[in-house]
Amino acid sequence: MSTSYIERSRGSCALHGALATFGAIEGVVPVIHATSGCGVQYQQGVTQFGGAIPACAAWGNPLSSSNITEKHVVFGGGSRLREQLKNTIKLLQGDLYVVVTGCSTEMVGDDIPAMTKEGREQGWPVIYANTPGFRGSIHRGYELAVHALIEQLPGIPGPELPPEPGLVNLLGIIPQQDPFWQGHLLGLERIFEAAGLTANPLLGLGHGIDRWRRLPQAALTVVTSPWGRDGAQLLEEKYGTPWVELHGIPVGARATGALLDALAERLPVDAARLAAYRQTQESWFERNLVRIAPQYYAGGFQQEFALVGESGFVPGAAEFLVETLGLIPKLIVITDPLAEETRDAWAQPLQSLVDTFKAKLAFAEDAGEIDDLLRASHAELIIGSSLDRPVADELHASFLPVSFPVANRLVLNRGYAGYEGGLAFIEDLGSALLRGRSIKLI
Amino acid sequence: MSTLNDYPGRAPASREKRLDSVSAYLGEARALLKEYGGAEVDQRIRTFSQSAPDDLFVALEVLSGLRDTGVIIHGPRGCAASRLRQSLAEHAGPWLVTNLTQRETIMGADSKLRAAVAALYRRYRPKAIFIVATPPVAINNDDILSVVGELSEELGVVILPIFTSGFASKSSAQGYDAVFHSFIKYLPQPAAEARGEWINLLATTESEPDRREAQRLVAALGVDALTFPHGAAVEDFSRAATARLSLPLDFDAGHYLGEALQNLHCVPFLQVPRPIGLAGTRNWIAALGQALGKEAQARELHAKEAAAIAHVVEAAPLRGVRVYVSAAPATALGVLDLIQELGGEIAGLTVTHLDRLHLEAVAKYQERSPALQLHIGNGQGFEEINLLKRLQPQLYIGSGVHLVQAAQLGIPPVFLPRLPILGYAGIQAFAHETGKALRNQAFLSSLAARARLPYQEAWTRRSADWHIKQEVK
Repeated sequence: MSTSYIERSRGSCALHGALATFGAIEGVVPVIHATSGCGVQYQQGVTQFGGAIPACAAWGNPLSSSNITEKHVVFGGGSRLREQLKNTIKLLQGDLYVVVTGCSTEMVGDDIPAMTKEGREQGWPVIYANTPGFRGSIHRGYELAVHALIEQLPGIPGPELPPEPGLVNLLGIIPQQDPFWQGHLLGLERIFEAAGLTANPLLGLGHGIDRWRRLPQAALTVVTSPWGRDGAQLLEEKYGTPWVELHGIPVGARATGALLDALAERLPVDAARLAAYRQTQESWFERNLVRIAPQYYAGGFQQEFALVGESGFVPGAAEFLVETLGLIPKLIVITDPLAEETRDAWAQPLQSLVDTFKAKLAFAEDAGEIDDLLRASHAELIIGSSLDRPVADELHASFLPVSFPVANRLVLNRGYAGYEGGLAFIEDLGSALLRGRSIKLI
Repeated sequence: MSTLNDYPGRAPASREKRLDSVSAYLGEARALLKEYGGAEVDQRIRTFSQSAPDDLFVALEVLSGLRDTGVIIHGPRGCAASRLRQSLAEHAGPWLVTNLTQRETIMGADSKLRAAVAALYRRYRPKAIFIVATPPVAINNDDILSVVGELSEELGVVILPIFTSGFASKSSAQGYDAVFHSFIKYLPQPAAEARGEWINLLATTESEPDRREAQRLVAALGVDALTFPHGAAVEDFSRAATARLSLPLDFDAGHYLGEALQNLHCVPFLQVPRPIGLAGTRNWIAALGQALGKEAQARELHAKEAAAIAHVVEAAPLRGVRVYVSAAPATALGVLDLIQELGGEIAGLTVTHLDRLHLEAVAKYQERSPALQLHIGNGQGFEEINLLKRLQPQLYIGSGVHLVQAAQLGIPPVFLPRLPILGYAGIQAFAHETGKALRNQAFLSSLAARARLPYQEAWTRRSADWHIKQEVK
């Protein structure tokens, strides 16, 4: 993991990753034990630019936070947390309360597990996650939140849930760090449903902690980014649940078809139903490709592009752009701070594409470094984050913001996963290419 | 006249110590004013709280407005999150976060800080670099000053440490003071030279239209103005220190700077309320006119400008509307006047904090609305919701993101930071925007019908000050 300084960091800290994750589960109430500004930095610096806003963590809901002061830094903040937790439970509705910590209270050495245990002895549904920002990036915060839920939720009494056959857990999509997280989960849900399976998306609209209580029932865990591995491994350890890793979400017909093949290999699916679904979807998808042909040629869609984003999105998107849409890759930058060995594994499926087109593949999260890579690429189209817009303007390149941070775009359920997602990507891309151009169709 | 010895320490004393700043209160304004008149102002604390801006957040906002500067946020990644917002707006300069790890918060990270400063300088050659401290750095007491000393010499660039901590004060306005404390201590001081003909327009985090309106009015009096620090460069500080006088756009923000320029450099500080509403704007212009010996021009300017928007005020667009206001005190107290000028009634008031700078305006509030309470809290939406349920205002004017909660109660909210609010243009914009909010409440109705507030039913039956207690010393 990168421990260098970072210019214009496009990934916040572990605490914020935990807040984004817990905030995307209905009925979960985070209790921040930190200085007052930690929660505000999350709302101002993550929620605003993370695309789809989770219903229960929307701006309007201020976060419960112990707001420790100098006194607590000197003498410890344990009693302040005890008070804040007790009053949060009295004041805020919730099915599960989670104590999350910031740097200050971890440095002071407040004993969070002991405090949480006290609460549990009172019968409160409370768990904890040690999430000081110095433990790592927002992605690490997602891992810590998932880990805490898998480990500690079984200790909280809950209803008996009837088994759901063909249940598949989805891990690796980080709310808001993936601005299309909600749409991507919905896209994957549709794919699994077509295969006669039931996705367990764990996060997003309408999903509460019951979805997490069902984790042990699943037949498989599907991981769509390296950040889902830790949880998948823990589930395998605890419940023997097998897991598969996709190199990012599938975008468009080819990748979606490949995913369906992989599912059919591993799980009992209704083969006839699946074949019929694929045929309908693929034919619909292809018809739409035909529809864009005039604009594709007259509007000059075949651009040399640079793609800047995270490991959960970039491989699927790159493959779609090159192998379905026929665009020319110049530069691919993966920006989440992956461990060295993970980088190699994630570079591998992109290697043939990179080699064929003599494109450059880089792992970088420093915006100055990314600016330089983009300038050197001479790309005609930049698909990245809003931080990359100034260089796109400088290069007179077309620009589509899809990676965190995304400014000036409102996202609800839009996403680029699956068949429909591929078409949505084409629409957004085409709109970005056509912006400010007039096309002469003779 | 003071000297820099009167500004000891790397950070200013807390707002609580200097100005008896209070951040938690609900009750009669009269009772609190009595405390300010007495020997001691009691500090209150909350036994339940919601996240609220801190000095770091405010300092990052102020620093993003300076030209040709770079910012190093010395801390873990999350401490720089809100800097993204300024980054994505225009004009914000380059910035780095040192991305501290657990080990570095224990062992110190001055070599990493050095590397970050050098990298930022090498890439962008800013004229000044700010190193902003964060909670972990404040706790482990990382040695920022020696990095500042060594590198400013080595690179030949102005480097300023800003000692924000996230916990030194309960008032986020401390962030303004931390920035300006550093300005007066570390920026090149002016050589003793003649007074300039210009005045300082002290502007920090105002919106572009607000700054333009204030600049327009000052220019109309035939005075040159240096807008500082927003949009200025650090070398403008020496011009600011030789100006004829300082006039703040917002004295919650500009007080520390204005006072320091007066104490250290004999630049008179006109501590006037914000130019909000007809009377507020008239007083602001009049104060400037008086200080410059241009009383008559100031009167004429006001008469002309007021006549041009007389139709807006005469229409009394807020007639019969009960309005709740929640904002920083200098803004909120000005907006109260504006609401009444537009025919509205005051339903209640929340200010983010209160200190000695606002006693006169609060006394006026108490006098005008003796039945109303005063609520002090920054970001404490749970208390405001409780109050709003009881008071049932017809309009909510707020500067916190929790204004959405008012909407969920069916009260149309207007987000203050989005509006031009200063001067005559501000009056027009305020009337226009509040008018829209009142005229079509369709979205509001569906929101109020569907949305569920996050609070337990029992909370709204409790007194709103249930969680505010006297601090045990």
